[in-house]
Amino acid sequence: MTRIRVLFGVAAAAMAVGLWFALTAPPDALQGEYSRIINVHVPSLWLAFLAFGVTALGSIMWLWKKKQRWDRLASASAEVGVLFTGIGLFTGMVWGQAVWGRAWDWGDPRLTSTAVMFFVYLGYIALRNAVDDPVVKARRSAILGVVAVVQVPLVYFSVNLFRTLHQTQSIRPDGSTMPAEMLVAMLVNVAAFTILYVALMAARTDIARIEEANRETELLAGDAVKPPKLSEVGDV
Amino acid sequence: MSFWNQSLEIARVDLRVERRLGDTLRIVLPFAVVALMVFPLSLGIELATISRIGPAVFWALGILFGMQVALRLSAADTQERRDLHALLGVDPAARFVGRVLSGGVLMLAFLVVLFIAMVLIYGPTLPSGSWSTVLLGTVLFSIGLTELGTLAGEITAGLRNRTALASLIVAPLALPLVIGASQSLEALSRGAGILPWVLLMLATDLALAVIGVGMARPLEEATR
Repeated sequence: MTRIRVLFGVAAAAMAVGLWFALTAPPDALQGEYSRIINVHVPSLWLAFLAFGVTALGSIMWLWKKKQRWDRLASASAEVGVLFTGIGLFTGMVWGQAVWGRAWDWGDPRLTSTAVMFFVYLGYIALRNAVDDPVVKARRSAILGVVAVVQVPLVYFSVNLFRTLHQTQSIRPDGSTMPAEMLVAMLVNVAAFTILYVALMAARTDIARIEEANRETELLAGDAVKPPKLSEVGDV
Repeated sequence: MSFWNQSLEIARVDLRVERRLGDTLRIVLPFAVVALMVFPLSLGIELATISRIGPAVFWALGILFGMQVALRLSAADTQERRDLHALLGVDPAARFVGRVLSGGVLMLAFLVVLFIAMVLIYGPTLPSGSWSTVLLGTVLFSIGLTELGTLAGEITAGLRNRTALASLIVAPLALPLVIGASQSLEALSRGAGILPWVLLMLATDLALAVIGVGMARPLEEATR
């Protein structure tokens, strides 16, 4: 528990530093103050991609090793990924309303594919909630975790593959399209959000471990109160 | 029995069961055609709009009712049948391929009839070369959707809320197929090439085939 408190403490400090960088970086010449949303939007979606990648890795490792800790990792990462995808979508819509004049554009592949990714992992969580047996749950969700990750590269590269309203990546192998101050602020926030992801993952996997332990205790209690067979009761 | 013979035998039995029950062509297809008629009824006498939205409605209904076709096959695959296949030593990957083959044939028949119904009801202005593009798109769409339906059917086998859960899994993952199929027709209308969209569908089909064959054994264990 102390480990998690320390992690959340570090994450809070990093987020405070990130906020300071986000608020002191110069605003964009055209977008004005709305450009600061990038400091939440980009880190959130970067973490969503990372989280779903970790879900796929955990799923593959569970199918290979059959160790429960990989299932915990995969499921925790999917839940955190859905949270960050939701934040990314929301901040993107706020920015879109201010800059594009509308919150959503159905013709934009990045927007629609991100929404689809959100629903795919909601399906993953729904599947986990529908299964009671931990091994069956782990096995089925591991398979879906591997299937689901196939669309993640499509979401990432959709801005390069299709004609889109959404701009292409700001950081490329040949350099950045952003001014240095804005880039530094964004990268500090990416680092801060990544620490927050680690803290959330540590907390969620711990909760999953406690849930599993509780479930085992419940089963033992259930066995203890099972009524005796008639043949064992004798002549009462 | 070789891998392909096993797959073909599974597909043959699936299609024979479907011929006896006739769920796809006697129930799902008429229901889809009725749904096709709901849109013009709700729009009124807007002939230009009705004509324009025809292909989009076709693909939207294609995915919604196609999911029913794909999932219906896996619903008919009972635990007893799975156990029998396992006892007979049928390769799980061959089972997956066989199911995709039979489902793909059914889906293709379903979509072809639905497309003809859409043309008759909506009267869309189709550019030259549309029929071959639609046929190619429909074949690739059918294969991909059946692969997804088979995977989702196996993952959700025996669960409560199975139909809703499997649909929730299939619908978002089928988006590359819907985009590829609808945009290829759109590209043809603009006079642009259809190759990128065909490649998108082909890549999705191949990725799902690799996953389906690779995951066949864990999938079989997952249903136990």
